[in-house]
Amino acid sequence: MQASKEEYFIPDGSYWPIVGSIGMASMLGGFASSLHDNSLGTGIMVLGFGLIIFMVFGWMGQVVHESEQGIYNKQVDRSFRMGMGWFIFSEVMFFAAFFGALWYARNLSVPWLGGSSNNAFTNTVLWPEFKSVWPLLQMPDAANFTVPKAIIHAWEIPAINTLCLLLSGATLTWAHWALLNNNRKQIIVGLIATIALGVIFLSLQVAEYAEAYQHLDLKLSSGIYGSTFFMLTGFHGLHVTLGTIMLIVILMRVLRGHFNPDNHFGFEGVAWYWHFVDVVWLGLFIFVYWL
Amino acid sequence: MATTTSDIQDEIDAHGHGAHDDHHHGPAKGLMRWVKTTNHKDIGTLYLWFAFTMLLVGGAMAMVIRAELFQPGLQFVEPQFFNQMTTLHGLIMVFGAIMPAFVGLANWQIPLMIGAKDMALPRMNNWSFWILPFAGSMLLSTLFMEGGGPAFGWTFYAPLSTTFAPASTDFFIFAVHMLGFSSIMGAINVIATIMNMRAPDMKLMDMPLFVWTWLITAFLLIAAMPVLAGAVTMMLTDRNFGTSFFDAAGGGDPVMFQHIFWFFGHPEVYIMILPAFGIVSQIIPTFARKPLFGYSSMVYATASIALLSFVVWAHHMFLTGMPIAGQMYFMYATIMISVPTGVKVFNWVTTMWRGSLTFETPMKWAVAFVILFTIGGFSGLMLGVAPVDIQYHDTYFVVAHFHYVLVSGALFSIIAAVFYWLPKWCGRMYNEKLATIHFWWAIISVNILFFPQHFLGLAGMPRRIPDYSTQFADFNMISSIGGFAFGASFLLLTYIIVTAIRSGEKIEEDRVWESAKGLEWTVATPAPYHTFDEPPKKAQILSESSHIGEH
Amino acid sequence: MKYVILLFFVFIIYSLGSALFYMMKDGDGSKRMVKALTMRVGFSIGLFLLLLFAFWMGWIKPTGVA
Repeated sequence: MQASKEEYFIPDGSYWPIVGSIGMASMLGGFASSLHDNSLGTGIMVLGFGLIIFMVFGWMGQVVHESEQGIYNKQVDRSFRMGMGWFIFSEVMFFAAFFGALWYARNLSVPWLGGSSNNAFTNTVLWPEFKSVWPLLQMPDAANFTVPKAIIHAWEIPAINTLCLLLSGATLTWAHWALLNNNRKQIIVGLIATIALGVIFLSLQVAEYAEAYQHLDLKLSSGIYGSTFFMLTGFHGLHVTLGTIMLIVILMRVLRGHFNPDNHFGFEGVAWYWHFVDVVWLGLFIFVYWL
Repeated sequence: MATTTSDIQDEIDAHGHGAHDDHHHGPAKGLMRWVKTTNHKDIGTLYLWFAFTMLLVGGAMAMVIRAELFQPGLQFVEPQFFNQMTTLHGLIMVFGAIMPAFVGLANWQIPLMIGAKDMALPRMNNWSFWILPFAGSMLLSTLFMEGGGPAFGWTFYAPLSTTFAPASTDFFIFAVHMLGFSSIMGAINVIATIMNMRAPDMKLMDMPLFVWTWLITAFLLIAAMPVLAGAVTMMLTDRNFGTSFFDAAGGGDPVMFQHIFWFFGHPEVYIMILPAFGIVSQIIPTFARKPLFGYSSMVYATASIALLSFVVWAHHMFLTGMPIAGQMYFMYATIMISVPTGVKVFNWVTTMWRGSLTFETPMKWAVAFVILFTIGGFSGLMLGVAPVDIQYHDTYFVVAHFHYVLVSGALFSIIAAVFYWLPKWCGRMYNEKLATIHFWWAIISVNILFFPQHFLGLAGMPRRIPDYSTQFADFNMISSIGGFAFGASFLLLTYIIVTAIRSGEKIEEDRVWESAKGLEWTVATPAPYHTFDEPPKKAQILSESSHIGEH
Repeated sequence: MKYVILLFFVFIIYSLGSALFYMMKDGDGSKRMVKALTMRVGFSIGLFLLLLFAFWMGWIKPTGVA
C-alpha cells in the first residue's frame, strides 16, 4: 500500500443523512398540512427547512474540511465531479418537463381549443367564443382564473436581466481563468461582481413579479400563460438564488485561502451550475418572454 | 428487522477475519450502525429489507383486491376503499418494493463485481436509503387521512388527481418527490461507482452484464425521475395555487398530464426490468456451465431498449385521442423494441443450449423468468398494436400483461438474485428442498392468478373495478384462488430466507456455486465487511469473466 | 432568422455540455473546461447582441409588443 492519499477515502458513518431525511420529511409534510389549514403545518415546515439548512452546512462543511486536509485523492475528486455532472443532468430534465409543458400548451392545447387541426368540433362544443392566440390573455373559461391586463414585455426588465446574467457569466469566467493562473485578487473581484449581478437579477425579478401581480393581474392563476410563465421563471429564480448562495460560499472559501490551480472542484462545480442557470435563462428569455 | 440483520453481520464478522487483512474498523454496534452507515453492504441490506417489508404491505393490499373480486357484487370493502387499494398497491410495489430491491442488489453486488472498495459516494448512498422509510410512511399515512388515500390509480391521471382528489393527495405528491429524489441520488451513485471505481484493469466490455444493465438503468432513472417530479409539481400547483396546466378551461390540457406522465412512465417500466435482465444473464451461465452467449449483443440490446424507451410513451394513450400518424409512429416504435428484447431471450436460450444444466433454485427462478417474461412480452406486443389495443385498453388484459412482466419478470428475478447471492452475503445455505417446494408453489399459483386475467380482459372486464358482471365470475374466482395461494407462498419464502440467514448450513467455499464466474466469488464467504482494498488484476478479471469475446 | 437563433442556441448548449464533459473527465489542472465556458459566454453575448440588432432592424418581432 502506498501513501494514504493514494487510497480512496471511505468516510465513517455520518449523522447528516438522517438529519436531512427528517428535515425533508418535516418540511414537505408540514407544507402539505399547511395547505389544508393545519395550524401546526407551517411551523413544522419551517422547522424542517431549518434542519435541511443545518444539514447542508454541516455536511458540506465536513466535506470542505476533509478536502482541505488533503484526504481526497484525484479519484475522489472525480466521483464528486461525476456526481455534480449527473445531478445537473437531472436538473436539465426537470426543466425539460416545464419547457415541454410550455411547448405543448403553445403548439397543441391552445390551438386545439381554438379549433385547429381536426378539433373544430372541440371548439364548437366547448368554448365557441375562444380564439387561439399567444400570449393567451383570454382563457377559454375565465370564471375560475385571473384575467391579466398585459404581460411582461421582453425589452423591459427581462432584457436588462438577460444582460445581468450574461455579464455575470463573463465575470465568473474571468474569475475562473484567474483561478487557473492563481491570481487571487482577480478571483475575488470576479466572484464579487458575479454575486452582485446575481443579486441585481434577483431584485429585478422580484420587482417584475410585484409589477405583474399588482398592476398587470398576471398571476399563477392567469390561465396557462401565467402558469407556465411563473413556473419556469420561478424555478429558474430559485436556482439563481441557490447559485448565488453557493457562489457566496465559494467566495468565503477563496477569502480563507482555499483552492489552487490543482484543487478546485468546488469552484468548478458551482461555476458550471451558474453557467447552466444562465443558459436556462437565455432559453426562458427567448421562448417565454420573447418568441 | 434490525436484530435479524445484525445477526447476519455478526456472522459476517466472525468469518471475515483471517481471510482478510483487516486494518479497518469493523461495523459499529447497535442501531446507530444502520442509521449512520456508509458501507455498501449495510446499505444494500437495508434496501433489501425495506423492499421486502413493502412487498408484504403491497401484497396485503393485493389480497384485499382479490378477496373483493372473488365473487361479483360488493363483498368486503367500499368501492372508494377498493380504489385506494389498487392505487397504493401499484405505487408501493413500483416505488417501494421493486425499485428499492434492485437498488439494494446494486449496492451489494456492483462494488463486488467490479472490484471496488465501496460505492463512490458513501454518505450520499446512506441518504438515498434513509429517505425511503420517511417517504414510504408518508405515502401509507394517506390511508388514514380524512377523505381517504389517493384513489385514482397508480398513474394518477388529471383531473382525477387534481380537481376530484382527496386532500391527502398533497402528501402523496410530496412522497413521490422524496422517492424520486432518493432514486436520482441512488442512480448518480451507481454511475459514479461504475465509471470511477471499477478496477483499473477492467474495461467497459469486461463488466458483468448485471453491472452493464444497472449502468443503463441509472441513466434512465436520472433522465426520467425529474420529469415525474415536474409532473407532480404541476399537479401540486394546479390543486393549490390556481394554475391550469391540466385544465382546459385555462388553456391547459389533461392529456398533457398523460404525455408527461408516460414520458416518465415508459422508461420507468424498463427501469424495473433491465436489472432483471442483468440478473438472469448472471445466473444462467453459472448453471448452464457455459459462457454467456452473445455478450456484446446483450449490451447493445440493453442500450437500444433504453434509448427506444424514451420515444414510445404514447402507446399507453392510443385511446386518449391521437392523430393517425401519431398512432402509426408509436405503434411501430413500440414493436421495434421487441427486436432487442428478442435478442436477449434468444441469447439466454442459446446460453442454455447444450449446456450442462442443473436446476438449483436460482436457476429455476431464472428459467421461469425467461418463459414467463416472454409471455408478458408477447401480450405487450399485442397491446402495442394500435387497432387491437382499442379492444384491450384498460381491461384485465393489461393487468395480466404487466403482472407477467413485473411479478414473474422483475420480482422473480429479484427472488432468483437473492437465492443466488444470499449464500455469499451471509455464508449460509438456504434449504434446497423447501425452496423447491416454494418455487413450484409460487410458479403454479402465479399462473393461476394471472393467466385467467387474459381471458377476462379479452372478454371485456375493465380494470380498477370492485364489482363486475356475472359472466366474469368463474375466471375471477380462479384468479383469486391463485392469488391467495401466491400470497401465502411469501410466508414460506420469508421462513426460508430467515432460517437460511439464522441457521442455514454453513458454507466454506468462496465460490458458492462451483461453476460461477465473477469477482464477487473471489472474496471470502461470507463477504467480509470491507472488500477489494487492492483492485483485482487483469488476469483475474479475465479468468472470472462469465462471457467470452473481446477483452 | 428563427433558425439563426436556434443555431446559436445549439452552439451554446454544445459548449456548455462539453464543459460539463471536461469537468467530469479531466479533473483539476486542465483548461479545456474553462475554454469551453468562455466559448459559451461568447456565444451567449453574441446571441443577445444579434437579438438586439435584429429587433432594431425590424427583422423580428417579440410577442406581447402589440
